[in-house]
Amino acid sequence: MTDKQPRSRTIMVVGGGIAGITAAVEAAEAGYDVVMVEKSPTLGGRVAQMNRYFPKLCHPTCGLEINYQRIKKSKRISLFTLSTVAAVKGSAGAYTVTVKTEPRFVKTNCTACGDCGQAAESEIADPFNYGMKTVKAAYLPHTMAFPMRYVVAPEVAKTPEGERIKAACKIGAIDLDDQGSSFELEVGAIVWATGWKPYPAENLTAYRWADLPNVITNVEMERLASPDGPTQGRIVRPSDGAVPKKVALIQCAGSRDLNHLAYCSRICCLASMKHAAYVREQVAEAEVDVYYIDLRAHDKLESFMRRLKADPQVRFVKSKPSRVEPGEGGNPTVCGENTLTREVYARAYDLVVLATGMQASVSEDGRLAGSYDDYGFVFTEGETIGAGVASGPLDVSMSVQSATAAACKAIQVVSGVRG
Amino acid sequence: MTERKTGIYLCGGCGIGEAIDVAALEGVAKKEFKLDSKTHACLCGDDGVAMIRADLEAGINQVAIAACSSRVMTDRFGFEPIQVLRADLREKVIWSHPANHEDTQALAEDSVRMVLTMATKVKAPEPYVEGEWSSRILVMGGGVTGLAAAAQAAALGHEVLLLERSDRLGGRALDSSKRLPHRPPYAQPAANDIGDLVASVTGNAKITARLGCTVTQTSGMPGRFVVNLSDGSVETVGAIVVATGWRPYDASKLGHLGYGASPDVVTGVELEGMLKAGKVTRKSNGAPVKSVAFVQCAGSRDPDHLPYCSSICCATSLKQALELIEAEPATNAYVVYEEMRTPGVMEELYRTAQAAGVIFMKGKVKTVGADLTVTVADELIGEDIPLAGLDMVVLATGMVPNSTNTDAPSPAEGAEQLAGDIDPEVPFPVAGYCGDAPAAHAKRPQAAPEGGSLLNLQYRQGPHLPVLHDGFADSHYICFPYETRRTGIYTAGPVRRPMDWAEAAEDASGAVLKAVQAVRSASAGAALHPRVGDLSFPKINLNQCTKCKRCTVECPFGAIDEDEQTYPIVNATRCRRCGTCMGACPVRTISFDNYSVDMLSSMIKAVKVPDEFSGKPRILIMACENDAIPALDMAGIKRNQWSAHVRILPVRCLGSVSLLCISDALSVGYDGVMMMGCKPGDDYQCHFVKGSAMAAERLSKVGETLKSMMLEPERVTQAEASIADADRLPKVIDAFVEQITAIGFNPFKGF
Amino acid sequence: MNAPSPTPTKKYDLSFARWVYDNIDGGDRMALCMQCGTCSGSCPIGTQMDHGPRKLFMMIRAGMKEAVLTSNTLWNCVSCYNCVVRCPRKVPVAYILHDLATVAVREGYAEARNSDNARFAKAFWWSAAKYGRTDERLVTGKYYFSFGIGEGYKRGMANLPIAMGMIKTKRMHLGMPHKCSNTGELHKILAKAAEIEARDHGKQG
Repeated sequence: MTDKQPRSRTIMVVGGGIAGITAAVEAAEAGYDVVMVEKSPTLGGRVAQMNRYFPKLCHPTCGLEINYQRIKKSKRISLFTLSTVAAVKGSAGAYTVTVKTEPRFVKTNCTACGDCGQAAESEIADPFNYGMKTVKAAYLPHTMAFPMRYVVAPEVAKTPEGERIKAACKIGAIDLDDQGSSFELEVGAIVWATGWKPYPAENLTAYRWADLPNVITNVEMERLASPDGPTQGRIVRPSDGAVPKKVALIQCAGSRDLNHLAYCSRICCLASMKHAAYVREQVAEAEVDVYYIDLRAHDKLESFMRRLKADPQVRFVKSKPSRVEPGEGGNPTVCGENTLTREVYARAYDLVVLATGMQASVSEDGRLAGSYDDYGFVFTEGETIGAGVASGPLDVSMSVQSATAAACKAIQVVSGVRG
Repeated sequence: MTERKTGIYLCGGCGIGEAIDVAALEGVAKKEFKLDSKTHACLCGDDGVAMIRADLEAGINQVAIAACSSRVMTDRFGFEPIQVLRADLREKVIWSHPANHEDTQALAEDSVRMVLTMATKVKAPEPYVEGEWSSRILVMGGGVTGLAAAAQAAALGHEVLLLERSDRLGGRALDSSKRLPHRPPYAQPAANDIGDLVASVTGNAKITARLGCTVTQTSGMPGRFVVNLSDGSVETVGAIVVATGWRPYDASKLGHLGYGASPDVVTGVELEGMLKAGKVTRKSNGAPVKSVAFVQCAGSRDPDHLPYCSSICCATSLKQALELIEAEPATNAYVVYEEMRTPGVMEELYRTAQAAGVIFMKGKVKTVGADLTVTVADELIGEDIPLAGLDMVVLATGMVPNSTNTDAPSPAEGAEQLAGDIDPEVPFPVAGYCGDAPAAHAKRPQAAPEGGSLLNLQYRQGPHLPVLHDGFADSHYICFPYETRRTGIYTAGPVRRPMDWAEAAEDASGAVLKAVQAVRSASAGAALHPRVGDLSFPKINLNQCTKCKRCTVECPFGAIDEDEQTYPIVNATRCRRCGTCMGACPVRTISFDNYSVDMLSSMIKAVKVPDEFSGKPRILIMACENDAIPALDMAGIKRNQWSAHVRILPVRCLGSVSLLCISDALSVGYDGVMMMGCKPGDDYQCHFVKGSAMAAERLSKVGETLKSMMLEPERVTQAEASIADADRLPKVIDAFVEQITAIGFNPFKGF
Repeated sequence: MNAPSPTPTKKYDLSFARWVYDNIDGGDRMALCMQCGTCSGSCPIGTQMDHGPRKLFMMIRAGMKEAVLTSNTLWNCVSCYNCVVRCPRKVPVAYILHDLATVAVREGYAEARNSDNARFAKAFWWSAAKYGRTDERLVTGKYYFSFGIGEGYKRGMANLPIAMGMIKTKRMHLGMPHKCSNTGELHKILAKAAEIEARDHGKQG
């Protein structure tokens, strides 16, 4: 860190999930200008795609709503959606950041009235629902989208359908000639809050996610259980829509595995216990088996685990299943060894949920943050500031803590002081 | 005050003009309010906004807009410092009700009446900025967290007063050997660099450290807390960071794990001290330690001791085992564990310890003999196995938060203020984990943590900083971990949640930023989270006050004290602007510049209540603007429909709803009243902690009153709403309308 | 000659575990086993093992040498390598079992000497070492008659239909045994390997 005064007092936050939002809002509320760069058309990131948080089983959109209200009240936050950082030049206090924006084909005067969606005919895989359903090619990302603006899918922009979509907008908010843009911003500090992506389940070949329809991942389970998900919140067997009576939740699907992710993703145990609660809440007679190596319910989260252990229909099996096989009717059979009883089991389930781990998504951005650990997480040191899961596997509360601390560091950088 | 000139703007865009008769709304403004209004086909467009701006130039000083929900287009319709009032004709009218229907039209007209009535009852808030403000930050605790907090606060330009109870800075880290890994590749214990941190604080001119010093009394409010110290001095600070850390669980309570049976059964903290001193020997005879067993969860995860997991004991034992092996490679180290908890990248340390030959035994310790034989119910071997020939047994005792001052006796009063959060002993009611099912359990009585209060707050609501059920001074909220129930006082480090050194230092940064926001907001008279920037604050007309003390008791944040004559005194910067005091006051003496019982009641009365011959009921829904209103907006976005007979009045929090609003509604002929807000109770969702709980409590007493008025108690109800209820709430509303219709019309209608 | 493994005097005496870490092929990685059960669950004949590899590893740590070296787990491994591929800690499970089986034989455990798999392995090795090839008739013959003349004849006759079928489908041939071209060289190589093995194990043991 140099002693010279920073050229820019603006803080850039890369990523608009819960960590990015928190870093931006906390810095803005301390009196600093913030530029947010978000890859998708809306803020909210992964948490917006979740049904509920553990251990309170409350809805993530509740906290997002407060944060969006804070952003609306603050005049200090500018937001660039569909944007990524393409290049970073300079150093702390005087960065020049190249931001690349993909076309939305919808201008800022969009009122989200929905006329364009009515006009659209073709459907695309819905990214908000991990492709578990489709949406119209002119769509609102979801009902809590922020900014509340439509998106026209690039697939239809240059087609006659695109023209019909354009014609449907009474206020001329559709711009089919949107080329996207690339521009430079001068900022004093950068907070990398680029979050995570689920570890690809197709890599876990023994668990057969790719070819058995009733094997799903934990993030897919969140969508299944969400009232605004593909099934309006009904947890069903994907193959036939039947209500699952026997559900297996497999921990460490990718995590704590030197063939996949060497680290523990921290959140999966609790997330799976939450999934057990989802199932038990909806299906009174359902039995849920949680397969695990170690149950990592740290601090007060222990009580969440204890409350679930009190449920006779939720069983915890200390075993990392060795494989999933197609059983009767194509339903998954989970095979492995119960390490406490030595029983070698093969049990049939209606639904198997893989607790896939969290992987840093920052590597896609070309490692622009500067300092990383071996796993691709941003390591906060020197000029590099990471926040949330971009900096390591954290739960929501810890991400917010990390992001608040990141805002504190960024402020010091743009103020020309350093703790 | 300057004359109020309200500009009224109606939007016909987004289908509003096609679904309702907007000209008739202009008529309502003109005929009933004698006000001219302007309609635009797309008010949020550049033309529409330019039209409003031109009028602002021409002298209007308040704007009322009837268009979309107040949650959208805030940037387009933001004309600060001009106050903008919004009526929603889109999400909650045309998108959720049939087009060109007389009931929808009536709903739209009432929306205009309500906002125009509101316009006459509010004024732009004048912030509380009287007096002097301090930007100095008090940090309590001179350990890792406190030192980091002090350094960070100073780096943000603030003066810091750092208090440390003992006679040295550095806290427990001074008595520790190495640190847990905190840098890539995270595989090995790291050097203890507490000296650097201490030096950075002692060398900082902005930081004044006082050793051997504690707080004896705290009064005042954010921006000017007056703190009495044990050295007799009195200091004024703007915000407080509590970083008082932790202490090990009292091992003398762990006789079942052998503590006391032999001097060679030691705690993890004792071993840490020996490692720090560079000499680990048997306390009994000074012989070297060649074989050692670590017993995990010593006190933790045990309902008879500490119900929670202390989070760092696993990694700490691994670190200690590695240090022993590093000093003497032939050391036999055993770790007896139930769950190996090395989350995140700490998994690397687990692998390092395994590779170094540490032996892990999953199971519970059954007995520890005087000869140090530890008998383990080994779950993986499936036998009770005596572990013999040990030189030392180390109990990995858990962390107890220093959320109280253990040097002081427990105060008689205020212990009930400590209770909070979910009782970990209570199982989920089966098939009702969440959603609508109420928590059908009695709360386990919570023992107050031993010791006196840390801050000795001179608050009406007691001296303690409220803590959660497990004794940690943490936030109940997942999304807002720094929100305590005492504004301007933030906790960080292990007093908040069990955490290690690196995380505590990070936590200190977060808490300090919140403290900095607190002092900066205080001097501007602006509210903190969640109504950030709100300049209004409760004003009490003492001439009408009956000294009933409801406001001082019910404030979720302890913002209102009592003077010598037991009149309430508002400490403005402690206030979070939820309005629970306003809802509590039986005689409407508490109001905000822009929010009052009078305003709500007037808006309720502004609605045209149809007579019983119309066959149409009129039902009032007072909906919390935090979760219920957004959920209803989203119901509109999804084009979910609900009865047009309801009138929705957004409120800051259900806690702010006075029973007088309900009686006013019933007296003007509404047939039913619903309060729609967040989940109350231990597992509350209320953004103001207990606003919705207070509303429920008040409502529970309404039944008798209604009966005495010859009204059915079922006419008034409270509905729990979450933000994800966009599909459910319309059904809840329709069911209530049906229920009211079945009961029949309000007999007071027309009187 | 190889130094024999130490015999623990009590449970969780680490002398045997440490000997395994140091002397068994892949033993050092065995220290990283976290008892997840993937290996035992992956094993196609896991139900026919008394302990399975996961528990066997825990027993090694517990110093249960006798139980480990008399376990049928060492002999029932079919070398499918599912465990090796799936082990999240990259423990070469199958290799460790094979090497432990060798130790069991070397240290004279009757169960090791008399187990079916040990007899078969011996027959297999006899053919491979002698001819450089494994001939189905020689291996099975040697294996069957290791049980004695009468028992050998019985087993051979019982499997005759299978042998006929194999001949018919040309999976087994009649005539001279398979043989590599220079068995003399092979025998020299094997002698050298035995010498190196004895020397290296002696060093560590």
